[in-house]
This record gives sequence, C-alpha cells and structure tokens, in this order.
Amino acid sequence: MSANNQVPVASAPGIAGEPPSPAPELELELEGITKSYPGVKALKGVSFSVGRGSIHALAGQNGAGKSTLVKILSGAESPDSGSIRLGGELQRFRDPMDAQQAGIHTIYQELSLVPSLSVAENIFLGKLPLRSGAAVDWQRMQAQARIALDRVGFDLDVRRPVGSYSTAEQQAVELAKALHKDARILLLDEPTSTLPMPDVERLFTVLRSLSEQGVTLLYISHRMDELFSLCDAVTVLRDGVNAADLKTASSKPADVVTAMVGKSLEGSIADAALRGERSPRLGPGPREGVILTTRGLSEQGYVDEVSFDLRAGEVLGLAGLIGSGQSELAGLIAGARKRTSGEMSVDGQAVEFRAPRDAIRRGIGLLPQDRKAAGFIPDMGVAGNITLASLPQFSRLSVIQSRRERSVAADMVDRLGMKVSGVTQPLKTLSGGTQQKAILARWLVRQSRILVCDEPTRGVDVGAKEDMYELIREFAQAGGTVVVASSEITEAMMCDRVLVMARGRVVAELDHDDIDPAGNAILERFA
Amino acid sequence: MSRTLSPLPQRSGTPSPSISIGSRLRGSALRALPKSYLILVLLAILAIGYYVSDDFLTFRNAENVITAASIVVVLAIGQYFVILTGGIDLSVGSILAMSTVLTALTLQAGMPAGASAVFVLACCAVAGLINGILVVWLNIPPFIATLAMMSAVKGFSYIIQSTSLIEIRDQGFIQVFSRGSILGIRNPVLIFIIVAVVAALVAKYTTFGRSLYAIGGNPEASRLSGLPVARNLIVTYTISGVLAGLAGLVAAAQLRQGSSLIGVGYELDAIAAVVVGGASLMGGKGDPLNAVIGVFILTTIINIMNLVGISSEPQLLIKGAVIILAVFLSSAGGVQRISGFFSKHFRRPQAA
Repeated sequence: MSANNQVPVASAPGIAGEPPSPAPELELELEGITKSYPGVKALKGVSFSVGRGSIHALAGQNGAGKSTLVKILSGAESPDSGSIRLGGELQRFRDPMDAQQAGIHTIYQELSLVPSLSVAENIFLGKLPLRSGAAVDWQRMQAQARIALDRVGFDLDVRRPVGSYSTAEQQAVELAKALHKDARILLLDEPTSTLPMPDVERLFTVLRSLSEQGVTLLYISHRMDELFSLCDAVTVLRDGVNAADLKTASSKPADVVTAMVGKSLEGSIADAALRGERSPRLGPGPREGVILTTRGLSEQGYVDEVSFDLRAGEVLGLAGLIGSGQSELAGLIAGARKRTSGEMSVDGQAVEFRAPRDAIRRGIGLLPQDRKAAGFIPDMGVAGNITLASLPQFSRLSVIQSRRERSVAADMVDRLGMKVSGVTQPLKTLSGGTQQKAILARWLVRQSRILVCDEPTRGVDVGAKEDMYELIREFAQAGGTVVVASSEITEAMMCDRVLVMARGRVVAELDHDDIDPAGNAILERFA
Repeated sequence: MSRTLSPLPQRSGTPSPSISIGSRLRGSALRALPKSYLILVLLAILAIGYYVSDDFLTFRNAENVITAASIVVVLAIGQYFVILTGGIDLSVGSILAMSTVLTALTLQAGMPAGASAVFVLACCAVAGLINGILVVWLNIPPFIATLAMMSAVKGFSYIIQSTSLIEIRDQGFIQVFSRGSILGIRNPVLIFIIVAVVAALVAKYTTFGRSLYAIGGNPEASRLSGLPVARNLIVTYTISGVLAGLAGLVAAAQLRQGSSLIGVGYELDAIAAVVVGGASLMGGKGDPLNAVIGVFILTTIINIMNLVGISSEPQLLIKGAVIILAVFLSSAGGVQRISGFFSKHFRRPQAA
C-alpha cells in the first residue's frame, strides 16, 4: 500500500486529454503490479491492458501468479506496487466491496451463492429492495431478477432456491447478480471446470453477448480450445511476469503453451541430461512383458476411454496441462478412484479395484498429488508413516514389532537421504521433500512393483526435486515400473514413454527418442 | 537462565543430529511429557485436598474416589478410542443405563449372573455396532448418529423397564461386579485397571491401535495406504458400546438396581475426561492412560468439594472452569504459551 503512494495520481490525462478515438477504449490497465508473500515473490511486475467489451484471457501454469492477480483485481489483496486503472481512472481497492463498487466482479470456480435462498434473493443479496423502508418489496425484486437473468439468456423461476438448479444455471444466477450490480468487468476463474460440455457452449454464447453489450471479460482457463474459440487476446503469466501477450487471431495454441511452460530448463535434470551429465531418462527402458493393461478405462467427466499397456520396467509419463485427466487416470490405476467403465488387468488377470487396498495387494502404490490432504499422517512419526501400508508385515498376532519397524525406517532414512532428527519425529515438522520421500519409502517397504506418482515434485524445493528423480530412477533400475502423471513438461520428457492427455483422452503416444530437446513434440499436443 | 523458568526443561536438552540414543531418549521424554505433566496436576490437586480436608487422605475416602471413578474410567476409555478416530460417542450414558436395565431384567427372570452379563454385553455391542454402521455406511456425522442412538437407546430402556426401577438381589452378581475383591483390590477397581492396561497396550503396540491414530490423523492417507478404515471404525464404535455395557454392569452391581435414569450425563463426563487428558477432538492424538488421569482429576476435584461442603451448584461451575483450564494447559498449547511468556518477560537482564 505504501508503494502505491509513490505512483503519481494521474487520472487527469486519461479522462481530460482523451480525444475520441476509433480504437477500442481501454477499460482495464495494469502497470507493473508486484506482490510478495513471505518467502515468495508471486508477482514481479505484471502489465497488460484490456479494451472495453473485449474478452481477454489470462493463462499460466500453477504458481505463475494468476490467482494472486485475481485476488488483487477482486480487492482481496492489495499490490505492493504498480497501478490499476479502470476506464483511465486510478483505482486502489481496500477490500472486495471496493472493487465491486468500482465495477469489477469476480466469479470463482466455487460459486458464492446461498443455496437455500431463492434466485431473486441471491441476486439482490446485501441490498434487498424495500417498500416504505421496512418490508421487502418481493414483487419488484422478482421482476428485476427476471430482467437480470434475461440479460444472460436464462429463464428461471426466481422464487425457487438456488440450490435446486444445476451448476450451469447457478453460474447464470451468479452472472446475473454481477450484472445487476452494474459490473463493468467480469473476472471468470475457470468457469468451465465444473460444467458439462453442452453447458460450456451455452456459457460461451452468454459471454459473447455480454461482451457485445460492452461488458469486459477477463477469462482464466488452462484449456487452449476455449481460449482460442472465445477470447480476443491472451496474456500468459509465468513466474510472476508477462511471458507473452498474444492476439488469438494471429497465434496458435502452441505459442501460448510454449509461453506458459517456458524453456527455462536451467538447473533441472533435463538440463543436466542435455549437457550429458546425467542419464536423460528416468527409466532403463521396458523389459519383456506387459504388467498392466487398460482398455477403454473411463471415469465420467474426467477420463475418457483410455487404453494402454504398461510394460514392465518402464517409466511411463502421463502428460497434460492441469485438469486434462492425467491425475484422475493415475488415481484409477492405483484404485484410489472408481472407474465408470472400461477394463483393467494386472499380469494378464482382470482386476477390479474397489479400494486402494486391492491395488496395493497387486503391488501398486500411489504418491498422491496433495501430500498434506492425502499423503501422510501429520502427528505420526517418520517410522509410523513409512510402515503404514505394511503393518501386517511388521507385526505378529497384530502386535507391532517396534524394534524391526524402527530399524527398517532408519535404513530408509539413510537410503533416501531424509533429513530427520529421529525416526519418531512427527512428519508434519519436516520439509515437503522429506515428507514426499517418506511416502515413497512407504511403497519401497511395501515392495510395490508399480509406483504411480501424481505430480511427484509439486511443492518440493529444487534439491528435493532432483532427489525424487534420482529415487524414481533407482526404483526403475531395480526393476520397478513407474507411472508419472505430470503437468510439467521437463518431467514428462524424462520418461521412457509419454502419453499426452487432453480433456481426459490420450491424444498422443511418444517414445522418449521421439521427443525433441525442447519438448515441442509434447507441447504441440497439449490442448 | 530462562531454562529454570521453563516448565519444559527436557526441551532444551542438547539436540543430536543423527538417530542416537540421546535423540531417542529425548523423543521418548517428549512423548512422555504430557503424561507426566498431567500427573503433576493430579498431585497438586491431591496436595490441595490434603491441605483443605483432614478426611481427604484416608483409606476410606480414597476407596470412595477410586470406586466412583472406575465407572467413568471404563466409559472414558471407550470414548477415547472413538475420539482418537476423530469421532465422538454421545450414546455411552444411555447404553450404560440400558445395560443396568437389561441386567436387572435378566437376573429377575432367573438367568444366571454370568449368562446375564454376557447377554447384556452382547446387546451393548449391537448398539455400538449400529453406531459404527450409521457413521461408516450411512455417512452420518458421529455427533448426530450417536445423538440419535442416545435417544433411541434411552427410549428402549424406558419401554423394557416398565416400572421406575428394578431391584437386583442376585448376590453372586453383586459380589463379582461390586463387593468382591482379589488380593485386596476391589473388583470394580480391578476391572478398570485391566481395561486401562489393555487399552494402553492396544493403542501403543498393536496394528489396530496404530491404524486408529492414522485414521484420526488423516483418513484419506489411511485409505490410500490400504488400512481397513471402515472396518476399524465400526470396531471402535462397537468397543465403545461394549465398554459402556461393562460400566453399566459395575453401576448396576453398585446401586443394586437397573434404571434408565442411571448414567445421565456420564457421556459428557467421559468426553471431558478424554479432552482433559490431552486428546484432540480432531482425532489422531492422545493416550488412553491420560484419559484415565483425566477422570481422576475431575473425580478428585468433585470429592474435595464434597468434603469441604461446597454445594452441588457451585461444584458444576468450578468443574466447568477446571475443564477449560486443563484443556488450555494440555491440548491448547497453554504450557508452551506460558513458558514462552515467562522466558520473554522474565529473562535475566544481560549485562550492558
């Protein structure tokens, strides 16, 4: 906030000195926005501008700074420095109410409606129209709610509770609510992530008509086809700065993806590999025989008819932008999720995993993506976490053999280079990388044959990242088979074979040798 | 010098970087810490009791306190396991009452004492099993499922009881569950000691105990690690039901009657004891022996107040205050905060 004061208040030229120009007026201008959190510089100077009534996309990987930018624009956070102009006027939002009063409305993935209140009440939430100063003027409210809904092309019974409508309809209510409050700019944070396909088309129609009505839209999405069918321009963020500003009419999806992913391989294993310092591959390549097979494997809404053979001893990459189905596919293989159709077999035997237990019995272990929510027991010690999946092997007549447990855990601590003060140290007190190693150790102790890693290096620091790759390599070298689901291109490039996924489908299968050093072979197929 | 002011001198022990005997000792000292700290609280209360009443430290009074506590201890241990998984069991008071009524009825009908006890425990196990099924299969939050069970079981007891109370005259039964003693230890006390020791061993050394800590700490990670989450949860609620039934047998023998009015509010005493004992209602933390100490802390305070003639209304008030204080100290990080406060404000001034 203090840094904001250094910016000269320059609302005058924008308004006074503006000659009527044929070019579209700029509705939103961001200039050098920075924002730091303790230990992280989330935004390092983001600048872009959006013309009135245009649809502007904001793209970027996780951690690129998108969500921070959304928070700043919606007034939830204030920037450390930089300026925001709305129609040429300098803005400084103290809280989300401020931003809304200025006309910026944000529609989050998780809708912020009250399910038990009626559609009309939701639209008017916070300022119900009153009659003679006291009673709610229901008739006026309902009539105006209908008008607001009409603007987004929906005809709903405004007296019914919002919770009784579908996601798409609720989204329409949220849009109507924003419009009713005279929104000039709508911030849409991945609005299609929860929508079924036909509703996506309908939403786009609504958004296009809003843009024609002069509402400016800032559209956040990972999905290339959406960006290109809906938006006029794209700003790509990477590591807190603008990585590219493109007009969709004159660019290709691959340009956006390249900008998102970047070519900064410096310091990574891939980089080391390119310079010949290390093996370029995580795996030694497949041996004879197929260990796991899927045919038409599907989970409605996430994974669509995926068929592949997992060969013994290989490291198979499932690559895709976030939300392309690779995580869910990994979960299906490991029994953590339930398939809706399709078949799967292990060692040629048809299997049905009703729970992770069933997959574990077949020798499959999962490194979940969200370590904290699904990976470990926070108050339990390192040893307890490591033996969690092998308790029967560490007990006789259900009594745990603690001495053996501790010595095996201590071995693992040494082997994986975990930085701990003792095997009873609670896992929650350790770094992300060490936690991840403990979960890996859990499957090593269980003697799993197939390791399914879902974003194995998310949220771990650079050093631990290298360690994880080395451990995966060792596991593969020792005869294990690995599946790596990842949205990181450098990670996918290290696999023996890569299945590229988009919208739940496998769109390409690439061998390690088919992938060029820049990873373009994978990038081109992202969508 | 801040070390002498700190109530946790063990923490400032020299850290050892590798897995040495030193760190192992430090680790076990840390694990033992909340327990020893609770014992200190109990000793302090005993000292207060000794100071304020001449009758307090007598054999007779001690026997009274321990016998009174034994019923709640058995309840609290069942409750402890449920709370360990992140759940709660509000039905134990009602199940205890049902146990007394069923005991009285079956004994009245001429069933032998042993058969009656087995039958009653089986019935209570079924009640606990239903709790578990409601929580696991029907996905009803434990608070609601067991609240409903509490009401249903109470209603069931009223119906089968039909009169206001049923006397128990079976001397064999009374002997086993109340009057008898082995090696000078009264049977109810023996029962609670056995239950507590078995619970402590189960919690610490068995795969079942370990998996309860895991389920309470992170149910999804437990599921992904292949632990039988659903089965163990159902077993836990069943155990809580059985222990409530066992507490009911002791209560029935002590009061020589069965009545649906016995045990009202006992579930809350059990929950209070468990949290005073340092367990977290979020699950995954604690020690069953601490729950036992929790029961004794609360029972002893009530006993002292009775001895000095504080009437029952202010007793409730004081009991509430004690629960808040104890929970603040044991599980809300009060000890650390106080020691932090002291080391911040009363550090010996450095020579300037």
